[in-house]
Amino acid sequence: MTTSLLSVSIALSSVLLSGVGSIFPAPIQGGLTNGNTIDALGILIFGVILLAASMLNTIFLIWWERKLLGRFMDRRGAMHVGYAGLLQNFADGFKLFRKDTVRPRDADSMGFFVGPTAYLVTSLVIFAILPISTGWNSGNLPLSLLLAITIFSFAPLFIFISAWSSNNKYSLIGGMRSAAQMIAYEVPILLAIVAVVIVSGTFSLDTIVTEQQNYWYWGPLFLAMVVFVAGMLAEMERIPFDLPEAEAELVEGWNTEYGGMMFAYFMLTDYVRVLLGCFLIVLLFLGGWTMPSWVPSAWTSFPLAGIFWFMLKAYAVFTVFVWIRASLPRVRTDQLLRVGWNRMIPLSLVSIVLAAGLVLAKCLPVFGCLPNLGG
Amino acid sequence: MAGAQVEEKTKPSRSILWVARPMLTAARQFGRSLLRPSTIVYPFERLEDPKFRDRVGIGSGRPIGVGHIWDNYRGVHALNIATCISCNLCAFSCPDLCIDMVTVPGGDPKHPKKSPQIDYGKCSYCGFCSDACPEGCLTMTTRYELSVTKRAEMVYSPQKLQEVFERKLPMNPVRVERPANEDAILLEPLLCIGCNACARDCPTNCITMLDIPKVEPKPGEKVAKRIWKEPVVNDSDCVRCGTCISVCPKECLFWGIRT
Repeated sequence: MTTSLLSVSIALSSVLLSGVGSIFPAPIQGGLTNGNTIDALGILIFGVILLAASMLNTIFLIWWERKLLGRFMDRRGAMHVGYAGLLQNFADGFKLFRKDTVRPRDADSMGFFVGPTAYLVTSLVIFAILPISTGWNSGNLPLSLLLAITIFSFAPLFIFISAWSSNNKYSLIGGMRSAAQMIAYEVPILLAIVAVVIVSGTFSLDTIVTEQQNYWYWGPLFLAMVVFVAGMLAEMERIPFDLPEAEAELVEGWNTEYGGMMFAYFMLTDYVRVLLGCFLIVLLFLGGWTMPSWVPSAWTSFPLAGIFWFMLKAYAVFTVFVWIRASLPRVRTDQLLRVGWNRMIPLSLVSIVLAAGLVLAKCLPVFGCLPNLGG
Repeated sequence: MAGAQVEEKTKPSRSILWVARPMLTAARQFGRSLLRPSTIVYPFERLEDPKFRDRVGIGSGRPIGVGHIWDNYRGVHALNIATCISCNLCAFSCPDLCIDMVTVPGGDPKHPKKSPQIDYGKCSYCGFCSDACPEGCLTMTTRYELSVTKRAEMVYSPQKLQEVFERKLPMNPVRVERPANEDAILLEPLLCIGCNACARDCPTNCITMLDIPKVEPKPGEKVAKRIWKEPVVNDSDCVRCGTCISVCPKECLFWGIRT
């Protein structure tokens, strides 16, 4: 597949600009059909398409979680707005949009409003970096994995800013827990990524996926994947690691003072980060958009097949997350931190050693023979 | 000594089981819920629908002793003004004081006819009034959809209660369809409690309640505890409407062929 989202957007912008430019006199028309103008508008269109697609996916993700969780609890989930409740989240979002944004009297205005906004924006930026299929991102950056993880780890800062600015004890405790938890679990995540980088030899996500043509990394790097998934669960603050917003004890934690659109930002960003976590797991360990060779070629050669398989895998990973959420109770803070520092970091170090050993012993192609890994 | 020990609930010995066991339980619940959810989509499906009859009953369709949960449900009242004798017993027996006796047309000027008017904002649906009614004209139906938008609409006048009665909402709202070849009302006497519901609701008065001597139960046989009367159907007057089968609280009347 040679087309990319960026080239499609630039083609769209050139068509648009030549159409609009034809009704203006020559100097303006020349300026509009200039290559730079076309590129600028193309990048803008690219951003809008990416934003709309990621937002729609996030909202569909919330619907999928509500339906699954309902069945886990012997309910039915959203039923009535739209087909099987598909439009329920739009209705909820519209309700939140119409509500007033109330700021507590003693809250710090700057941090109170900048925190959620920056949280949302920094999370959405990562969608431009993650490749969904060949060429379907802003470009093949050589260090895209490092950049994605770096932006991903901005979040505790903004959560802490908004929690501090709320001037509420529950918010502050939630923000502190969030910062402690995210920092504790970023270390094993990064170490697990080092294992992936050792095996693939690159920081570029596109190249990591093409390296997985023969065998997906969840086989050779199983330990690293376990550490990465557990760390991602903690980073995304999902049950059983949802200490920062623990409803029962902390009154929604750092969300306590937020209502209306600002709460919607937090809510949306939580699921944006869940989607990003699923994307990262699929990219690093489940082969991205590649499929094993035993899959019939007719299933992998239709238009946008890469995106289809990628999203299917991402939603499968999310389904496992919902399953975990429905099953496990919340852990205590000390348990969480002890597991993070005492278990996860040694395990990730072991996974690095294992990965290095596999590369040195040149026994990685062995995994290509396993039937379920492709080859 | 062994009997005195209480067995502790088995605990998973390994930490991986602390994760795996709840997840297996949740997965099993998920599958069960997908195949047969415990909830119904209420306004579109109702528990009274025949497809749910075997699913939600206490004892699941075994008729001895208990019926389905809605058979004994007490909802809005039904009043037959024509047979009301204005005796006031319903208002006397009401623990919530929600029954007012109001004048209805039909009495003479000296003794105006009064019938109950019920405030459902206060009513606790205890059913004392219909128990106290000597004429059986104030009964309780299984209608439960009573939500209104104004408080005044919660007060049901005798005329409105009469409408409930005329809509002929029986104790059991599911009408039993008559099979084509079966045209007689048969009785399972062991289940009958002699409640008189069939004879009271029969539109042609073809059911009479006859005293029967008490039958001694044989060992191992299921027998209703108290039998005083049981219905006898006059087949020549019966119009085969099936009302008696619908109202029978114990489901002891059924369609069949009289031999």
